[in-house]
This record gives sequence, C-alpha cells and structure tokens, in this order.
Amino acid sequence: MMKTLRFNIWNVIAGCVILVSTSCSGYLDENAKDQISEEKAYSTTGNLYLNTVATLYNYIGGNEESQGLQGTYRGVYDLNTFTTDEAIIPTRGGDWYDGGFWQGLFLHSWGVNNSALNNTWNYLYKVIALSNRSLEKLDEHSSLLTSSQLAAYKAEVRAFRAMYYYYLMDLFGNVPLVLSTSTSMNSVKQSSRSTVYNYIVSELQDVYPLLSTENSVKLGDYYGRVTRSVAFFLLAKLALNAEIYSDDDWTDSSKPSGNSIYFTVNGNKLNAWQTVEVYCDSISSLGYNLESDFSSNFAVYNENSCENIFVIPMDKNLFTNQMQNLFRTYHYKHAAAYGFTAENGSCATIEALKTFGYDTDTVDTRFAKSYYAGTVTDLSGNIVKLSTGENLVYTPWDVKLDLSGTSTMQTAGARMKKYAVDKTATKDGKLMDNDIVLFRFADVLLMRCEAMVRNGENGDAYLNRIRRRAGMTDRKATLHNILAERQLEFAWEGWRRQDLIRFGEYTRAYTDRPQLSGESNGYTTVFPIPANVMSLNSNLVQNSGYMTK
Amino acid sequence: MGMACLLVVTTTISAQKRYVAPFRVTDDSTIVKIGYADGNNKTMSGSVDQITEEHMNKGLMTNPLDALSGKAAGVSISSQEAMISAVRVRGTTSLTGGNDPLVIIDGVSSDLATLSTVYPADIESFTILKDASETAQYGSRGASGVIQVATKKGRNEQFHISYDGNIGWESIYKNIEMLSGSEFRSAASALGVTIIDKGYDSDFLHTITRGGFVQNHHIAFGGGTKTANYRASIGIMDHKTVIQNNNYRNYIAKLDVTQLAFDDHLTVDLGVFGSLQKNNYIPFTQKLFYSAAAFNPTYSTGLNSDGGWDQIPDASQINNPSSLLTMKDDEDNGHFNVHLRMNADLGHGLSVAAFGSYSYNVVDLSQYFPTIVWSHGQAYRGEDKSEELLGDMTVSYNHDWNKHHLDVLGLAEVQVQTRKGFYTTVSSFSTDEFGYDNLAAGAVRAWDGTGSYFENPHMESFLARANYVYDNRYTLTVNARTDASSKVGKNNRWGFFPSVSGAWMISNEKFMKDITWISNMKLRVGYGLSGNLGGIDSYNSQQYVKPNGIISVNGSPTVTLGIIRNANPDLKWEVKKTFNVGLEMATWNNRVVFTADYYTSKTTDMLYMYDVSVPPYTYNKLLANLGSMRNSGLELGVGVTPVKTKDMELNINMNIAFVKNKLISLSGYYNGDYLTAPDITAIAGLNGAGFHGGNNNIVYQIVGESLGVFYLPHCTGLTKNSDGSYSYAIADLDHDGTENLEDGKDRYVAGQATPKATLGSNISFRYKQFDISVQMNGAFGHKIYNGTSLTYMNMLSLPNYNVMKGAVERNIQDQTATDYWLEKGDYVNIDYVTVGWNIPIRKVSRYITSMRVSCSLNNLATFTGYSGLTPMINSSVISSTLGVDDKRNYPVYRSYTFGFSIQF
Repeated sequence: MMKTLRFNIWNVIAGCVILVSTSCSGYLDENAKDQISEEKAYSTTGNLYLNTVATLYNYIGGNEESQGLQGTYRGVYDLNTFTTDEAIIPTRGGDWYDGGFWQGLFLHSWGVNNSALNNTWNYLYKVIALSNRSLEKLDEHSSLLTSSQLAAYKAEVRAFRAMYYYYLMDLFGNVPLVLSTSTSMNSVKQSSRSTVYNYIVSELQDVYPLLSTENSVKLGDYYGRVTRSVAFFLLAKLALNAEIYSDDDWTDSSKPSGNSIYFTVNGNKLNAWQTVEVYCDSISSLGYNLESDFSSNFAVYNENSCENIFVIPMDKNLFTNQMQNLFRTYHYKHAAAYGFTAENGSCATIEALKTFGYDTDTVDTRFAKSYYAGTVTDLSGNIVKLSTGENLVYTPWDVKLDLSGTSTMQTAGARMKKYAVDKTATKDGKLMDNDIVLFRFADVLLMRCEAMVRNGENGDAYLNRIRRRAGMTDRKATLHNILAERQLEFAWEGWRRQDLIRFGEYTRAYTDRPQLSGESNGYTTVFPIPANVMSLNSNLVQNSGYMTK
Repeated sequence: MGMACLLVVTTTISAQKRYVAPFRVTDDSTIVKIGYADGNNKTMSGSVDQITEEHMNKGLMTNPLDALSGKAAGVSISSQEAMISAVRVRGTTSLTGGNDPLVIIDGVSSDLATLSTVYPADIESFTILKDASETAQYGSRGASGVIQVATKKGRNEQFHISYDGNIGWESIYKNIEMLSGSEFRSAASALGVTIIDKGYDSDFLHTITRGGFVQNHHIAFGGGTKTANYRASIGIMDHKTVIQNNNYRNYIAKLDVTQLAFDDHLTVDLGVFGSLQKNNYIPFTQKLFYSAAAFNPTYSTGLNSDGGWDQIPDASQINNPSSLLTMKDDEDNGHFNVHLRMNADLGHGLSVAAFGSYSYNVVDLSQYFPTIVWSHGQAYRGEDKSEELLGDMTVSYNHDWNKHHLDVLGLAEVQVQTRKGFYTTVSSFSTDEFGYDNLAAGAVRAWDGTGSYFENPHMESFLARANYVYDNRYTLTVNARTDASSKVGKNNRWGFFPSVSGAWMISNEKFMKDITWISNMKLRVGYGLSGNLGGIDSYNSQQYVKPNGIISVNGSPTVTLGIIRNANPDLKWEVKKTFNVGLEMATWNNRVVFTADYYTSKTTDMLYMYDVSVPPYTYNKLLANLGSMRNSGLELGVGVTPVKTKDMELNINMNIAFVKNKLISLSGYYNGDYLTAPDITAIAGLNGAGFHGGNNNIVYQIVGESLGVFYLPHCTGLTKNSDGSYSYAIADLDHDGTENLEDGKDRYVAGQATPKATLGSNISFRYKQFDISVQMNGAFGHKIYNGTSLTYMNMLSLPNYNVMKGAVERNIQDQTATDYWLEKGDYVNIDYVTVGWNIPIRKVSRYITSMRVSCSLNNLATFTGYSGLTPMINSSVISSTLGVDDKRNYPVYRSYTFGFSIQF
C-alpha cells in the first residue's frame, strides 16, 4: 500500500514539476503594459519619426536643474551668463550663498567639483547619446521610410546633434566625439577642440540642404524645430568664432587669424569672415527681418515674430518646459503683485549699467525694456509696496557681490525684464506662454557687421539698422562699439560669455571681480572637465590650468 | 471551557520608539511552524522567536507590531508617526530597498502595511525567523528576516463569544518652549530689530494639538467539534491623535473555518479577511511643527477680519499653522483576502498540502491644498490597486525509526501580482469650497500631472528541506531553495539559496544526566544564503520606452516616447550569506533561561545606482549588482522567575542586542568596465530658513563606515563677535589654512546614527488575580543631531521667526551646522505600566468564563541626556530623516487607558 502510494505521489510531484517548468518560459516574462518595448515604438513610419526625431526636442527645454538650453538653473545658460560682466547673483544675507556657488561663478573660481559643470556635461552628452541612438534606429528601420524621408530625418537629427556638440565644445573645449551607441567606455577618448569644431561645421554643411526652409518660430509644421535657418545661424556663429574654436591651445596667448582660416562654402574657398557674411545673407534671403519693436520678440504670444529664428516652445498646459529666470529675479513683493512668489536673486552688474548709460541723459532705450530699476509698479500702474509700507525701489548702483548686512540687501540691483509678464502663467510664472528665444535676426545683422569689420570692410549700415530700430543715434562700427551693441541688444540672452571671449575681454578685472592669478593666460575661457567625469574615464586629460585632485 | 484569559492587548505607540525584546524559549512539546515546516524545540536547529499571546505586550495597541515590539532580540520597531512602523530585523541589509522583513500572515505573503490592518486581538502568535537556515526557506525574499503571524482559529470547544475593548486618553506632557509674546518683544528690542507686533500673546504650538482619544472594540465568537470548527470576529479601532486632524480608523471582519474529513485524513481550512482603514494624515508634518513653533507670538491665533489667517510676509518657510491645518490628506485603504488550505494525511508520515490565496488591496488617496496656503490651490486624486494570487503545493514526509527522526519537505510555489493605478493632479482653483471632491473646479491639468501604470511581476519557486535528528541529541537541517522572478534579468532568472544548520541538545547527553539543575541546553550553528530583490522595480532589466513629453508635430501636440534610463539585462538578486551560532540554556526547571546568539552576514552583489561615464552611456547612473556590506551582532537574553507559587509569580526578562554594520565597498566590474559610486554620499540633512544649498548635510553614507554616520565640521567653541553675539568657531581639520565646509574638506566622522546596542526589558508580577507589568526599552551608542535647537537657538532668525527660550541669553547668531549640536542619543524609556485584575467569575454568573479589567499608562518617562524634545527619533531606517532631529518631532504624550474584556 505504501509503495503504491509513494509511487503515485512521486508521479504527481514529477507531473507538477514538469507542468510548472514547461510553462515557466513564458510565465516569467513581464507583461509590460504601461511601458512598451522599443520595437513597438518604431513600428510605423509615423511612430518612427515621432520617437526618433521629435522626441529629441523634449530636451531643448527643461524644468529640472541643468536640463535645457535655457530656462533652468545651473545649466548652459547660467554658465554663459553669470560668469560674465553682464549679470550677477549677489549673496543676500542667508539667501543665495548656496555654499559659495554663485560667487564662484562670478569670480571665475569654480572648481573641478562644481556640480553645475558635471550636470551640464551629463545633460549635453545625454542628448547626444539619444541622438546617436535615433540615427541608428532610423537606419535599422529604414525600410519604413522613403529615401527622401530617411535623408530628411537623419539630416535633422545630425543637425540637432551638431548643435549640442557646439555647446559642449564651446563650454569644455576638448571633448570626446562619440558618434555611436556601441562605443565602449574604454575607447572614449578626447578630441581636440579644433577637431570637434571642424566636425560640427562639416556636419552642418552636409545636412542643411536637406533641412526644411520653413520658419521654426511659427505654429506650423516645424514649430520649434531645427530648420535650415537654424543651421545657417549656427554656421555663421561657428565661423564668427573660428579664431577661438580652431585654437587648440588657448593659454598660449596666440590664436589663429580669421583671415587665414578657410571654409569651403558653395564650392568657394572663403575665409572665416566671408563665410559669416555668406551665411548671414542666406538667412536674410529666407525672409527674416527686424521687428519694429524689439519687445514683440518676447511677447506672450511671440509665435508671429519675423525676427526670432529658433525658440524653445512654451505652453503652460501642454509643454513641461519652464522659464525660471524671471522667478529668480523678482523681489518677493514684486512677484506678489503679479500673483506669484519669487526668489529675489539675479540682477545687472555695474558694468552693464555703465554700458547702457543708466542715470545719464543718453541712456539706451533698451534699458527700460531689459531691466526693472527704480520704483516698481504692478501691471495696473500701482506702486508696489514693501511689508514696511515703503515703496519697493530697485537700486541698481548698490549691487555688490556680497550684500549681507547692508540696508539694500533685498532691493539692490536692476532686475531682468525682457519677457512680457504672462498674467495667466502658472507655477509662479515658470510655466508661461512666451517662447524662450534662442536665436534671432538682430544677431545675424550684428554678426555680419562684425565679420565685415574684422575683414577690413565697413559695417556701419548693419550696426545702425539695429540702433535705429532701438531709436538710438548712429555709431561708427568699431569692434568696441560692436561689443557694446551686443550687450545692449542681447542682455539676458546668454551670449555674453562667448562674446567676451571672442573680443579677449573675458579674463579682465571688473567691479567686484579681480583677475585670478594665472588667469591672464586665458585658461578660464574654457571650463574644466568635471572631476566626476575624469574619475570614471582614465583616458581623459584635464584642460590646462585646472588640477584634478 | 478552560480558563482562557483573553488578555486585553492594546497599546498606543507614541512617536519614535525602539523596542528590543526578551527572548522566548519554546518547550519541547510545542509545535512551531517554522516557515513551511513544523518543528519543536527538539527538532529545530535555528533561532526562532515565538511570541504567543500571553507574552505579547499589554497596554494600548493600535497596530499589531506594538504587540511585538520589544519582545524579540534584534528586531527593532520604530514608528515615525502614530501608526506607521518601520521594522528592521538584525540591521539594514540593502541600500536600495527590501529592508522590510517579509510578513507571512496565515501562509499568505504580505507586507507590513497589510499587517497593520489586522486587529491585534486576533493574533495568536508571532514567529520571527532570523537565522540563516530559517530565512533561507524563503530564498529570495528572506534576506531581511521573516515575521510569521498566526491568527486565531476555531477550536474544539463549545460555542463561546467574547468581547474586549478599551478606551484611552492621550495627553501631551512635554513640548518645545519658544518665546512668549512679551519675551519676543523684549528680545527684538534688545537686538534692535523691528518686529511686526499685532499685540497678542499667543501659543501657536497649542493650536495644533489636542487631547487624543483611542477606542477599540472587538467581538469574537466561535465554536466547534473535533471535526469542524469556526471562529469569527469583528473589530473597530478609532484613534484621534494628539495632533489636530490626524485620525486613524480601522474596521475589520474575519472568519476562519476548519473542517476535517475522511476519518480526519483531510483537513480543510478556509479563511476570509476584510479590513477598511480610513486615515487622515498631515501632509507636511515638518512644516506644521516648524510653523507652530516659529510663528510670531504677537499674532492672534484666530481669524482676521477677512475671514482668513494672517501670514508673516517675509517668513517664506512657514505658514500660519491654522491655515496649514486646512490642507487635507486622506486615505482609504481596503484589504480583502481569502485563502484555502487542504492538507491530506496519507498515512505513514506522508502528507500532501495545497494552499491558495487571493488578496485584493485598494488604496485611495485624496489631497487638497487650499489657495490660502498653496499658490493657486492643488488637488490630487490617486488610486492604487493590487491583486495577488499565490498557490503552493507541499509534500512532506516524516519517519521515526530507532533513534532516528527524519522529516523531509518538498514545495513548489507560484505567485502573481498585478499592480495598477492612476492619478491626477489639478491646480488653479478659484474657490476652496470643493476641496478634492469635484476636480472640475480646477482649471489647469498639466500633462505630467496625470498618469496610470501597470505592473505584473511573477515569481516561481521550489524548495526542498530535510531535517534529521539522532537520539534527540543531534539535529541536522538542510534547505535548498530556488526562485525565479520576472523582475530579474533574463540571464539570471533563477537564484539558488541553500542553507545548512545543526544543533546539539547538550542537555540530553549522558554526561549531563547528573547535572539536574540544567533543564535544557542547546548549541546551534548554521550557514545559509538568502536573497533580496527589493531594489529592482518591474521592467528595470529591459530597455523600455515611456512617454517623455509633448512636441508639436505637424502643428498639433503629440506625445513622444523615449528611454528613461540605462538598462541592465544582467540584473540579479542581492545575496546575503549569513553564519550564526547560538546557545540556549534553561536552569532550575526553567526558572532561569538564557540565550546567546552571534551572527555575521555579508551582503554581496549589492544593488545600487552606480556612476557610469557619460559618454558613452546615456544616463549617468546604472542599477547594477556590485558592492558589499557586512552586518554582525550579538544577542543576549535572560529570563528569571524568582517567585513562582500558586498565588504569586514574578518574571523578569531582559534582552540586549549589539549590532555592527559596515559598508564595505561600492565598486566593481560590470562588463569589463570599472564602476563605482561616490565614497561619500549625503543621506540626511537639515532644511528650513537659511538651509538652502550650502553644506547642510549631516548624516552620510561613507564607504568603510557603518551605514549612517555623522560627518560634520568640528566646532572648537563659541567665539564672541564684536557686537556681543556668538558664532560657531570651525576647526581647520585638513590644515590647509582655510575653513571649508564642503565634503572632503574640514569634516570628520563624529559618530553613528544607528545604536550600537538595544535593550528591552519586561517585569511582570502576579498576585492571585492581580497582575502588574512594566516594559522598558533602551538604545545606546548612537548620536542624535539636534537640528531643532540649531535652528531655534539662532538669533538671526528674528524677527521673521521665533526662537527658543534660552536663545536670548546665549545670543548665538549663527546657523552653521557643526558638531556643536551633536549629542549622545542614549536613553531608557519606560514604555508602559499595566495593572490588571482577572475578576473571579464564579460568584457572578455561570455563563461567564472569564472577565478582566485593566488600566495602563503608556510612555511613563524617558531617561536620557539628550537635550531635545525626545531621543526617540528615526535611528534605524536609512532615509532622509535618519539621526537628525529637525523640527519634525511629535510632542511627547502619555496615554491613560482602561480596558475590559469578558468571555462567555
């Protein structure tokens, strides 16, 4: 009896084990329903486009730290703005000290451990890695596309990736050129700045014929996209800065001359300055022009601007991109007058005030459009009051690197204006409908002017188009006046660092900022490779002037 | 009808208690369910603590874990708020998750949250499995220990019905003391700062508190015969805590039926359980306590002329506490379970059992933040549903011949879980009247505020166990378990977790026969592997895409998909290797009992987010199995019964556990690439006014140290400034000539946040029908950072924030975080004193079997050198609140309870 029982039991057990193990192969697979496998994402032509090309544009803007090209803290924009003589975030008592971060940016004493550098590096390379992946997926699934679609989509991704390499090379100099997702960690090596530079230029030149000629600022099929005008703009910028970007040793006090750096443009061999002129004219021929009022480029519904060339699309209900710079600049009471809260931080430097001619009779008309200064009023014209009952008055000349303990701690400094106040903005004004302006036509005119002057030609006409639009008197187009005009026109737009470096003024001393010892050789014009990145990849060599411990 | 004393066990947990318990030794005849197997003291070879009903904590309990706290050595239970407990068995084993012990309720695998829905009076026993060979039975889920809960079932007896209930009051006896209105005015004028003076003298800490009230009622009835019995119970628990708006209610119903058939060869058990919890939480407790303490006392506590509450314009970190109390955070938690077990005894020691269980759980969360405290208002509604289906089949066989005893067990188990939910967040409200009850009142639904999810993990396991005993003296147990889970990478689906353990009953040896005063002596040793999968979410091992944003495509907004992390197809289990050795001794007929356990365990293949190089990776973190951590400890327990007569009995129990933990490494090779994580990572820090960015991290995870150490600048003393105020003088520890507060500069390891030793002690005395019992717990060797005092002693906070009494005299105008406020956290706490009287019923009625009244006082006193409100903060769970007392402590309160139980 026992024997048969046991035999039966073992049978049953064996049966169960077999049953379970044969069904286990499918049983143990996860049934993902709120996420899908990659292959389903690329299954149709429409999906392929959406999830390889369009998806990349989610990263142009951002709402977290260091994400996005503009609009968030401690990212590309802050590194290009608060390290210059244009803007500053003073320490206001207990606020904005943040372990010395902002002072470090202003004084150029950022170290290799600076978290903003690490996060910005990771952000820019993340987008490049995603672009590499997109290109590979497009190739893999090319059977779903016609040859012209494949060419156009790949061109857009390549242009997008080239733009990100431009930001990387501009900030960090010698960066690794990684163009495939199957690169192993050991084979990631740095390329020299000029190599990366030449690669970017050749990529853009290769692909721009395949890009659409549509306007990427308007609410059309290519809203917010990299179109041909964007590529031309980048090419013009790259050529304008050729002396800086072709210089592999920026600490040896010598740089190549733009007259002897050559580009092949439409079959012709042109020097850097001529190249700039050609690409600027290409943008003009696509129909861009100056708006009659500079402020309409920054209006709440600025999609119809004929001057903007490339923007970060904003929509408080649809997109998650945020503009945090206004939130950062307002005094608490100023923001409260708009129905928001704020952080009372960023403001103009003394140098900026002087360039604008603040407090003089000839103050530039663009000052009032770019800054809040003096008594503050709300949108109905009523004066904003402090909790003590006094008027809120911004005092621009009182700005200092450390305002702690002074009576104007909270109110010193002229604040950022530029963008029209979106009364219906949510999240304390960070989700607003004004698109964030990255590239615009006024820059094209000034680039052309500067290229002509550097090439020995007369650029007055272009300079004065800008000045007349602003209602100011004409000036002679000298390099000094061009640099000043760029400050007047592009305050708060994130160009100052690049401009100062190109004109050789980045390392000079100015109010509250002595020159660092050793800085005169120019090592601070390039940021260090972040220490975390260095520690993970032994192939990398630190930029000169910085010690990685 | 026996003298079954239904002891009233209900206790309230006051905030942040740690418990370590007296041990338990089971005597030879009691059958214990150890994991899947049965055993008794003769046949067990591991350390198993079983806490049965009479040994559970008495006093007011609102959560079953309160019954257990302090009773098992090495099990530390701490509550962050009035209801939620965190349990750690023998320390923290993992950095990413899965540190909660596995909870098995009547064979159904569960978690701590579900355990909190079980009514304490329905629990018959807790069995805690800690050792290698016991936890290895649970393979991949056993690494953090197992708490087995057995609930009461029907018995072979006449119909009986019982009621037990109690009511209690909670009252605060200690709170933080801030300046009063007049003191505030004089402090401000002494400093020369202008304040906003509304002319009142208010106590805002008082406005957010109230007297607490608890009541529990429970009715159970059942009966049966030898072949069929049942038990049913219903219970209600209602707890209004000492903080306004913070309430908990729990309703349960339970039915268990047992039926024997086929000449008692087949046993069928059916259990049905349902519970509903309705809880009201405080959404931001730290902000509430901070606001109540630091609010300008010259303001009025009432409404202003506009019908709202006055706020302080420049105090951005706090709000009027009454306005904060208008924020709502409500949760409805429903749980339902049905399980069936069929056990067939086939004779000759062979039996087959099949078990199946189905659980369904719904959590409904609703929040509303009114426009007066939250810009534009915000409502959140979310629902999380989870279903779990479990089935297993067991075959067991036992046989005794001559001096040998063998029992073997084979098990096959499958488990499927489905978790789904959805949520939506709505903002821009024009009126607060609707709260969260009509989401159409909000104008803005941002794209990323709404979503839903679906997860469906599967698991499959096999277990083989053999237990051999020779001559009741030598025991050998071998387990072999293998698990497969869908969460793990395809290459590593199956994990293997074997264990082996042995025991030597020294007291049964011939040479011990003459030593009659030793009634029981046992030496045991074991080694085993268990696994942990807590750190892996579903889908982590594969490259999936998710919606990542909206882009305008061809003029219309379209959702795009993208990858969101680096995938690791080689993800696998964390493995914990444990070795333990223990000795149990009982002398003088169990009048003195002693146990000692030593264990050491190493967790390898530890899951963590390691840094990877960008480029070539897309994201800079990768979840990988590298790294290792070690835990070791010693647990000692003593139980003495000096007096044991018919009328009097005195029991003294004490246990103490020493734990050592070390994070050994966080680096290793993955696919040939060397991955590492930063040596120094911050875990917990300070927040509030003046604590943004900057160097406010206090507790760190440092490779080579115990998890959770204080890494702080050193303060050499207070320096007097020219204006008579004082600041903290920082020592230049790295001797580089500058004072630099960044990590890696002028900081040093100043102590650990987790206690080195924990103590639990219970003294109970019975005289005839009266009994009194005292429970004490303590923790030693750790430190606490008094961030509350650092903030409230800083005179620079005036006039926007209030300061503590004593701050004006000390005149410290500095808020730099240094070791000045790092204090020893040692304490001994008297948890409760309970006095009970078993009413002699013979004289009352012939239907009543027993009757008992009791009264207890909880949280009598805490003996400590810590200068803050209470030393019982989070000192065991690795989270952002570990070791730091930062303005989030509940005020200290006592509860006074009266209980009554009667059984017919």
